[in-house]
Amino acid sequence: MAAENKVESEADEMPAAAAADPSAEQKERLIAAVKKEVKQLMEEAVTRKFVHEESGGVTALCGAVEACLGQGLRRRALGLFKTSSTTALLHKIAKHCPEAALVSARVLSAEGAPATRSASGVERRPSAPRPPLNKRGSGSLLSQTPTQSRYLWIRIALFERQLAKIIEHLVNNATRYYERDALVADPDYGSILSSLLVGPCALEYSKAKAPACFWSDPPADELVQRHRMSAGTTTPPSVRRPILNFRRSLNASSDDTSGSSAGSATVSSAKDYVESLHQNSRATLLYGKNNVRVQPKDVEEPMPGYLSLHQTAAGLVIKWTPNQLMNGYAESEGVDKSVYWAMSLQVCVWEVVYVHVHRARASDALILVGQDGVQRPPIHFPKGGHLLSFLSNLETGLLPHGQLDPPLWSQRGTGKVFGRGKSRRRPMPSLCESGETEETEWEDVAGDYVFRIVNNAIADREAMRHSLLERAVQSPPRTPRRPLASTSTTSSDSSTMSVDCPPSAIINGQPPLTPAQIPPIEQAASIELVCSTMRRQIISRAFYGWLAYCRHLSTVRTHLSGLVHPNIVPTDGTESGLTEEIWQSMMDENGAVHNGDEVYRLVYYGGVQQNIRRDVWPYLLGYYEFGSTSEQRSEQDAACRRQYETTMSEWLCVEAIVKQRDREATAASIARLTEAAGRATSSTVETGEVFEDDCSVISDNPPIVSPEPSEREQKPESKPVLSRAPSIDEVENIEMDSEEKGRNDSKVNGETDGTSDSKEHVDVDSLNDIDDDEVYIKSVVENPDMRRESIAEIKRLAEGIVQKGDGRGLLCSVDSGNMTLNGNDLKSSMEESQPPQQKHASVIITNPSVDLAASGSPASSGTTANVSPARSPLGVVREESHSAGASFDTLEPSGDARPDNRSNCVSPASSNGGVYSNELVETFALNLHRIEKDVQRCDRNYPFFTDENLDKLRNIMCTYVWEHLDTGYMQGMCDLAAPLLVTMREEAAAHALFSRLMLRAKDNFPTGQAMDAHFADMRSLIQILDCELYELMHAHGDYTHFYFCYRWFLLDFKRELLYQDVFAAWELIWAARHVASEHMVLFIALALLETYRDVILANSMDFTDIIKFFNEMAERHDASAVLSLARDLVLQVQTLIENK
Amino acid sequence: MASRKKVLLKVIILGDSGVGKTSLMNQFVNKKFSNQYKATIGADFLTKEVIVDDRIVTMQIWDTAGQERFQSLGMAFFRGADCCVLVFDVTAPNTFKSLESWRDEFLIQASPRDPDNFPFVILGNKVDLENRGVSAKRAQQWCQSKNDLPYFETSAKEAVNVELAFQTIARNALAQETEAELYNEFPDQIKLNANDNARNRDGDNCAC
Repeated sequence: MAAENKVESEADEMPAAAAADPSAEQKERLIAAVKKEVKQLMEEAVTRKFVHEESGGVTALCGAVEACLGQGLRRRALGLFKTSSTTALLHKIAKHCPEAALVSARVLSAEGAPATRSASGVERRPSAPRPPLNKRGSGSLLSQTPTQSRYLWIRIALFERQLAKIIEHLVNNATRYYERDALVADPDYGSILSSLLVGPCALEYSKAKAPACFWSDPPADELVQRHRMSAGTTTPPSVRRPILNFRRSLNASSDDTSGSSAGSATVSSAKDYVESLHQNSRATLLYGKNNVRVQPKDVEEPMPGYLSLHQTAAGLVIKWTPNQLMNGYAESEGVDKSVYWAMSLQVCVWEVVYVHVHRARASDALILVGQDGVQRPPIHFPKGGHLLSFLSNLETGLLPHGQLDPPLWSQRGTGKVFGRGKSRRRPMPSLCESGETEETEWEDVAGDYVFRIVNNAIADREAMRHSLLERAVQSPPRTPRRPLASTSTTSSDSSTMSVDCPPSAIINGQPPLTPAQIPPIEQAASIELVCSTMRRQIISRAFYGWLAYCRHLSTVRTHLSGLVHPNIVPTDGTESGLTEEIWQSMMDENGAVHNGDEVYRLVYYGGVQQNIRRDVWPYLLGYYEFGSTSEQRSEQDAACRRQYETTMSEWLCVEAIVKQRDREATAASIARLTEAAGRATSSTVETGEVFEDDCSVISDNPPIVSPEPSEREQKPESKPVLSRAPSIDEVENIEMDSEEKGRNDSKVNGETDGTSDSKEHVDVDSLNDIDDDEVYIKSVVENPDMRRESIAEIKRLAEGIVQKGDGRGLLCSVDSGNMTLNGNDLKSSMEESQPPQQKHASVIITNPSVDLAASGSPASSGTTANVSPARSPLGVVREESHSAGASFDTLEPSGDARPDNRSNCVSPASSNGGVYSNELVETFALNLHRIEKDVQRCDRNYPFFTDENLDKLRNIMCTYVWEHLDTGYMQGMCDLAAPLLVTMREEAAAHALFSRLMLRAKDNFPTGQAMDAHFADMRSLIQILDCELYELMHAHGDYTHFYFCYRWFLLDFKRELLYQDVFAAWELIWAARHVASEHMVLFIALALLETYRDVILANSMDFTDIIKFFNEMAERHDASAVLSLARDLVLQVQTLIENK
Repeated sequence: MASRKKVLLKVIILGDSGVGKTSLMNQFVNKKFSNQYKATIGADFLTKEVIVDDRIVTMQIWDTAGQERFQSLGMAFFRGADCCVLVFDVTAPNTFKSLESWRDEFLIQASPRDPDNFPFVILGNKVDLENRGVSAKRAQQWCQSKNDLPYFETSAKEAVNVELAFQTIARNALAQETEAELYNEFPDQIKLNANDNARNRDGDNCAC
């Protein structure tokens, strides 16, 4: 009763609070709540076509209405004192309002009142408990309010579509029932309330969730939670089952229906019950009835629970769940429900042979007797035809492959009834067939009935086999009249004999013999025969099993021996992983770490402590050699950095070209749009024409993707043409003019070193000249500005040494630029094309370079400026920024660096043949755009990736792609580089590690073959380690089913885990190469799969479900558990292979 | 009606990377826009139930990786698609230009029964941005030239036309589907009509 009181007091508080605060605000709030719920319900109805009766929306609406009705109710005056709800009010007004009378009657009958009770509902039940369905509960521990019985009368009124009318009645007669200031009595709010409810009252409400098309897949979270909830007491997945032996583990639920006894299938049935609460596409709910009582073992009194009948692919399943388990999940937290799970029943109908029915005055009991002769606890149905409707549902559900024998008697008008004369006490088999109706009072008579469940499908097959067997040994032909075991069933004629059940039972090794049913002696021979057959079968099965096992193991060895290392590395002392102290202690006086194996072992089992990741990762990725001294390493770093800078300077030049073209492309499209818009306005005609001319060139040849070679050199011109268009009429003149200007600019460059000021003036002037293009040019100018800022920052960091670096970088880039110029000259000898571009570059972008150069070494920048070719200025800017950025801890001797850079610069240029051929530029442009798109999107929710760091990431990507233009950028590379950058913080090092990482990872990309191999390996591994899962996944055929692993393998789980976990996973993968397996990713993938295997199996997910599941689960995995499970799996395979 | 087959419409979204495929899908299904989406790797899908011509159907919308070389892998799963959505970015003309190749690629890989009449829907996304590179007219012309494909200018960010576009997608996909199973579906439609009328009436009543 405690729970009931709780509910009552809860409901009481609301109106009380309402009464205490009679302000309009309170009413407003109440009515707003109703409005909101109505709106949600209507939306649900619109999207789902109908609303389920137990939908949360309905309950919420009822709650809101209840709150409204409770507010200002004249309890005392009406004698409703101490009654919790407005139910009493309903019964009260039933006298005056026909709708209320109807609902009141319904409420009473729903509360379990006998149907015979007068339907007028006048009889008031002042103490009607709120959760009426529980009032028969046999103890306080049983009474928890099922949500659906809350606000019962409002609910019923809603479903009966009477609610609005009842409320209208209340509103109209508000003075009689309500205080003056009550919401219902309010002329406005009252009518609003009743009119609000008109809509919901007209909706369709459905009891059954059955139609599959209305059922939507629960999200991954929900699935996992359901699993957790139902499997709370199971062993965690990391506790591994013995290999090859766990196929039928307790946890395995794919065929849990086989666990027929109440106790044995606890967990799986629990899961199923949870599942059955959520009607799904695989099991149709045929029948459901609550407050069906069952007396489980160890319980003194029958407990009420929910009985349901499900149609699954495997057959009918009868389930019974104690009421304690039928409440919301939230309440279940913290309470040990395992005891209730143990009580719940789950019976597969095909395993039931007999259904005994005992009808008594008090209640109807139904007892299921299985093939093994074991009786299930009796199921007590409440009076009122429930048992009959259950049986008729059962009978319907058995069709077409099975039937109840004898069938229920179908009677016109009253539906199905019990077959006549099937009472055990009065076996009159012929009555059914003859259809005599001599006893009309039978329905009210207590009696026992026995039904047999006949499975035609199995019985047919077995009977056939049995008869063949008999013929073979010339046993006496079985007569149809001789069922092996039958108490009261009547296999009345020969036609039904063929579907007799007992033979199948014998074949199954479970003769359903009860002491009372000793078979005739002449059947002993046939039984003996059957037994010997069984013996042979058992032996042969054992043999085949052994054979399969041997083959299986040979598969294991052939397929999997390559996946793991043969020797098992011990785990001793690795709990804490590689900590800073251990790391320091391993280093000798020269800073060299020699014991690589130990490092790998520690990392493999325990990971790396966060603050030394930066030091350790280069080793793990094989970038540093173990045994190298700190001096050697810093040399390596310096060389690497130089190399990186050089590469950058190369692609930066090309980038400048690409940017240029992009601008043209933008201009062209702007022009095209302007053209369209400009036709109307005469003022822009001039501009429009020029743009039009230009875009006629460009539009046919998308500038980025496929410009024709001849036009490529032209294009750089077009920018100045466009920008200066307003001042000049003819295109030829423009060319001349711009050429001249360009020369002027280059002269300016040559004349003074730090003439940034004067040039900025030029800049501004030229910009001012151009009105039409202003917006566009601004955008171009903004970029260099931003870059300059970041450069300045980097410079500050780099301090004094950086200045030298600047000079070098500048010089170097100029050199490469020079080469560019030469190459172009040689190749196309289009000198006219250069100056305009140069001019443009100097107009917009040169400034920063000069700024920086001025602060660097003036002499060198002066000389470089003299020879500064078309594209170099932009390149210089970028170059400087990066040489500066890369010089954080530069210790390199400056004298050596210069020649190095110079030679490095020249070589790629010459190796590229005609420097920056059109194809090269196009390819790079394509990659550049992709990189930019993806870098922008990469982990932007992660605070590390500020613009500055994104820029670094972009540089790393571009540099790598520049080095590997044949494969180019592929989506996912960004994701792989990002954690490296986060850890290393420094571009060149991150790039170096990324290049190492890509050695392995590049095969995973579509250009490589590794992904298919991974899928195949996954398939073998699952086959070996988890047959059950394998069967599920293999049901559909090929291993494209492992596509859900695609992202896992491609990105080394980077998207699946949070950053810190990604670090750990990667360390595991890297270290595992040297410790346990070169294919650690497989085992991590397997661990992920195994972690959720029960969820996957329980929901029989097909491959789309699995894809969705894992996509939704991304970044929510328990990484440390997964990783340790992965190590366990490796160990398992190692053990498996070792134990040949 | 309980045995009625669930109507599942498989919709594939294709288009260059960064045109907003994921955003469109999420805007339609979850009514949310986030600027936090990452480049799609592999494939993902979302499902949503919609009502099309008085029928409830479940749309299974497949979002794909934009880079073309990833397509060969994903395409295997796109067989049986009921509609293909081609997305481009109205600010990036080259994404518009690749529509043609996306269309061809899809027809090759998914090999629908009737390639000529397979339903495509073209979406020009990001119309909320100002720097347009593809005019509506140009896109319209292209769509007309391709057997008059439906064209919508959408903004996943501001939810412009997204609902409408996907309604059309669902309708066209359903038309594709229904052709095959017209016979089976007919009785249901009558029933659902009745329901729908009732619902509409409710809707009218409720409009407060």
